[in-house]
Amino acid sequence: MPSPIDYSATGTVFNMQRYSIHDGPGIRTIVFLKGCPLSCLWCCNPESQNPKPEVMYQASLCIHCGKCIKACKFGAIDPQNTGLVNHTKCVACGECVNVCPAGALTMKGQRLTVEQVIQELKRDEINYRRSGGGITLSGGEPLLQSGFAVELLKACHAKGWHTAIETTAYASAEAIEKVFPFIDLALLDIKSLNNEIHRKVTGVSNEIILKNARRISEMTQTVVRVPTIPGVNASPEGISAICEFVLTLHQVKTVHLLPYHTYGENKYDLLGREYFMDSNVSLSAEEAEQLKKIVEGYGLNCVIGG
Amino acid sequence: MLAKGFSQPTQRVEKLKRMILDATPYVESERAVLVTESFKETEGLPVILRRAKAVEKIFNQLPITIRDDELVVGAITKNPRSTEICPEFSYDWVEKEFETMGSRIADPFQIPKETAAELHEAFQYWEGKTTSALADSYMSQEAKDAIAAGVFTVGNYFYGGVGHVCVDYGKVMRIGFRGIITEVVEAMEKIDRTDPEYVRKEQFYKSVIISYNAAIRFAHRYAEKARELAATEQNPTRKAELLQIAKNCERVPEYGATNFYEACQAFWFVQMMLQIESSGHSISPGRFDQYMYPFYAADKDITPEFAQELIDCIWIKLNDVNKTRDEISAQAFAGYAVFQNLGVGGQNEEGLDATNDISYMAMEACAHVRLPAPSFSIRVWQGTPDEFLYRACELARLGMGVPAMYNDEVIIPALVNRGVTLRDARNYCIIGCVEPQCPHKTEGWHDAAFFNVAKVLEITLNNGKARGKQLGPVTGEMTSWKSMDDFFAAFKKQMSYFVHYLAEADNCVDIAHRERAPLPFLSALVEDCIGRGKSLQEGGAIYNFTGPQAFGVADTGDSVYAIQKHVFEDKDVTMDQLKEALDANFGYPVSASPAVPAGDASQETELKVYEAVKKILGNASSINLADIQKKISAMDFSESAGDPGKYDHLRRLLDSTPSFGNDDDDVDMIARKCAQIYCFEVEKYRNPRGGQFQAGVYPVSANVLFGKDVAALPDGRLAKHPLADGVSPRSGKDCKGPTAASNSVAKLDHFVASNGTLYNQKFLPSAVAGDNGLKNFASVVRSYFDHKGMHVQFNVIDKETLLAAQKNPENYRDLVVRVAGYSAQFVVLAKEVQDDIINRTAHTF
Repeated sequence: MPSPIDYSATGTVFNMQRYSIHDGPGIRTIVFLKGCPLSCLWCCNPESQNPKPEVMYQASLCIHCGKCIKACKFGAIDPQNTGLVNHTKCVACGECVNVCPAGALTMKGQRLTVEQVIQELKRDEINYRRSGGGITLSGGEPLLQSGFAVELLKACHAKGWHTAIETTAYASAEAIEKVFPFIDLALLDIKSLNNEIHRKVTGVSNEIILKNARRISEMTQTVVRVPTIPGVNASPEGISAICEFVLTLHQVKTVHLLPYHTYGENKYDLLGREYFMDSNVSLSAEEAEQLKKIVEGYGLNCVIGG
Repeated sequence: MLAKGFSQPTQRVEKLKRMILDATPYVESERAVLVTESFKETEGLPVILRRAKAVEKIFNQLPITIRDDELVVGAITKNPRSTEICPEFSYDWVEKEFETMGSRIADPFQIPKETAAELHEAFQYWEGKTTSALADSYMSQEAKDAIAAGVFTVGNYFYGGVGHVCVDYGKVMRIGFRGIITEVVEAMEKIDRTDPEYVRKEQFYKSVIISYNAAIRFAHRYAEKARELAATEQNPTRKAELLQIAKNCERVPEYGATNFYEACQAFWFVQMMLQIESSGHSISPGRFDQYMYPFYAADKDITPEFAQELIDCIWIKLNDVNKTRDEISAQAFAGYAVFQNLGVGGQNEEGLDATNDISYMAMEACAHVRLPAPSFSIRVWQGTPDEFLYRACELARLGMGVPAMYNDEVIIPALVNRGVTLRDARNYCIIGCVEPQCPHKTEGWHDAAFFNVAKVLEITLNNGKARGKQLGPVTGEMTSWKSMDDFFAAFKKQMSYFVHYLAEADNCVDIAHRERAPLPFLSALVEDCIGRGKSLQEGGAIYNFTGPQAFGVADTGDSVYAIQKHVFEDKDVTMDQLKEALDANFGYPVSASPAVPAGDASQETELKVYEAVKKILGNASSINLADIQKKISAMDFSESAGDPGKYDHLRRLLDSTPSFGNDDDDVDMIARKCAQIYCFEVEKYRNPRGGQFQAGVYPVSANVLFGKDVAALPDGRLAKHPLADGVSPRSGKDCKGPTAASNSVAKLDHFVASNGTLYNQKFLPSAVAGDNGLKNFASVVRSYFDHKGMHVQFNVIDKETLLAAQKNPENYRDLVVRVAGYSAQFVVLAKEVQDDIINRTAHTF
């Protein structure tokens, strides 16, 4: 007897992206959950890291009407500040976003119930069916909101939708055991086997990740994804180490190499944060192809770009 | 691998294609001279007989041209991709453009001096005798005022002959023209002389017999020409080909075809002759795979390779046909579009899947030839094999904008709702841009008018006035509206007023054709003209419709929603503020040029200079170049010359209102309602052929041209900027990806727009790459159709390519894009149309 689904469970969602075709089979909607225990230097969704809702400001849309200044009760709107919002004062109450007529202020992260998310996901239900697609949970780290995630996943399964998760695997064993019975496909991020490097670029140790990776591969179909970053792992040694680890997992046959890009760079400005990556560093197509050959040398399928 | 790839065409096909690409389009005069001579000779005879005698004279005397390397012969003009003129419908616009047609921006045609002189001479006869002159004399001043203000235009049939029809090609292949003559003779013998319609019927039958006998002789002249060429041909292979061509033309279309090659030749003769009889557009081959397949299946000797080459040759011939229009219409239909719509796939009359070998070979031909014609369509339904749809997506992925895809699950019930029988509805084909009809049983009068819904909105917002002049009824100042109910009451009243005059204008044109230009050759190939003894123009067809198409639906929906949300719901804008801003065009000068994408200042300036020159030339009778220079330098081309700062806040507020195309029910349902108001108003009217009016929602590329007539709108659009195309969201306004956009579009009521709807989606190649991309592409189509969308077509092309083609057109002559209901060479389109295509949102992630 399956446990009943709690449609009123709430989680913090920062985006739902429809017609996603690179994160699992078919046409999918990605639900981005907010909050991440890692803070990877290259993160292209920096707005996903803070578990709390945040106000984002896009200067190009601002019409300088001043409504937000009046609306803010915390003095967090500072026209002298290039990013407008003083994030140390801001409590993300959302008053300024509500009054902004131009859409220049947006709230990244909204408390939504399972029911509300399902209503949005349902809009592409026919596309999932026609394309063999479904839902992908991403983040942030979706396992950080495992209570919400599990109710949402149960609700998706109740609708007959395929479920996938993009995860760092940095989570408690309880969260893993709770969530993965409702996952059809895990897209598991492995950044580096070298713990020293891992700590430096993500802020956390890789021990828990590597341990969970094994358990996840036993629980569901798993693909390992490697954000391929020059100076971190985009080297024959870095990739070989990851492949050797992949071979120790349960029935993992596929590795995706996700070449580093700087698409997220401007978001750091919008959030009033600093971008530590060198934006001139990038991975050429030829370099990516060479790394792919290494992966294939281990008898693994390799896809560039996922 | 799902993707199969496409093979290379033969060298012959490559050569023929090169001929089309290298051709300089000319206007030729033979047909105009012949029809004029004939009409001078037949004064006093019944009009239908005069038409038949004119066709006879043309078929007897039009020059016979067989081009090098052709396997399927028959050319309307001596020069490839050129045009004859049909002065009996209208001519003054040709005369006006004798000097300029060769150098105009959209669709130039060369008119040599001698040709101009011959045409000028012929035109003298037609003063006051054309269909357009008669239609004009019938039309009320109110209708003319509405046309002048840009509310609608009935230009297609006003200026040209009747087209937009699909005839019984299969019948010609089965029984030949002799068989048709026999049928007519039998029908004539059967009529009782006391039948009150006897005389009229007899004249019709006689005119058909005259036309078809002449048509047979016309084909025989091709046989003679082929033998003549063979006699002096040195190359033995070509000599044998010419002798085979001669044999074919002796056999078809006089008699039925005995093999696939003859069927191809018979097809082409019919397609060509229809376009000699009249200047009508959109003579659509329709379900090519259905009537060609029996001849392919029964042909034991033909190789698939040769059959493919013959089909390719037909595709080339379809591009050899060309038509000229006046300068303004040429902009609306940019790209030498002739709209010969040819489709494959779908169901047969029994409701079973009808896909066959020819369906796939037709797709291969599109990939081989890669020219704008035919307007290529596929039909899709629940029973369409996945393989067929994948193949179609693979073709679409080449980026030529074909095939357009049509949903049987919407079109069949939509036609049944109009009184078409289920069997006939299942057999529908597509005409012109996107118009469904039952082939060879319908006079659909499709493309009856462009109707500018956004202009009606503008007039509603101005209490019935356009450019300060009272045009529609007085329905109240917008500042007096207390609720959306008040707005909709006013909008409906204005709509009702203008659709009334639209129907009147269309019917005036309809009657003018009946009285001055019934078409006997065309009529005999449409049921049940022979049975009824009536031409198509007199109501001889089984199904009769009139289909005027609307555009500007997304602009209207977005604008109306902006009023609802800001004035009545959020109350952050007052009607007075809105009215002031609209009157002031949001503080911008009313520039004649639509927005030009940033980053191309030189072209922008060039365009503005061009517009300025046009304006000055339009006002001054004598032209002084120095004066022009002075006026240009005095003109302010800066968009910020007004006071946009004052309205900037308001405009951006309006502009950021949720808009159609993002799967937002609130605004989508408003757009649906606005489109329905038009559709339900249109279907109230009846035409002189005994049929009903039915609305369509598609723009060709009129959304750019007619956008120039529309003032600023509450969605933040500035005056004169392009409107949204077809049922697509406004350019760049669909931000949630292709599934959200197509969900929005599917929320419109496509069933009541039974004259067709048009939805353009653009994908960048990366979004549809690989087998997965192909599957997802097909899924987008299937899903849109599950949601009951009617039509969708794709431009799979990257923006850089388009921008590069704009800069260096000479390097991109083979770049074919979907404009609206048709494809065209990108580089021959007017810059504004090019910009519009570039600005349509590119969906990729």
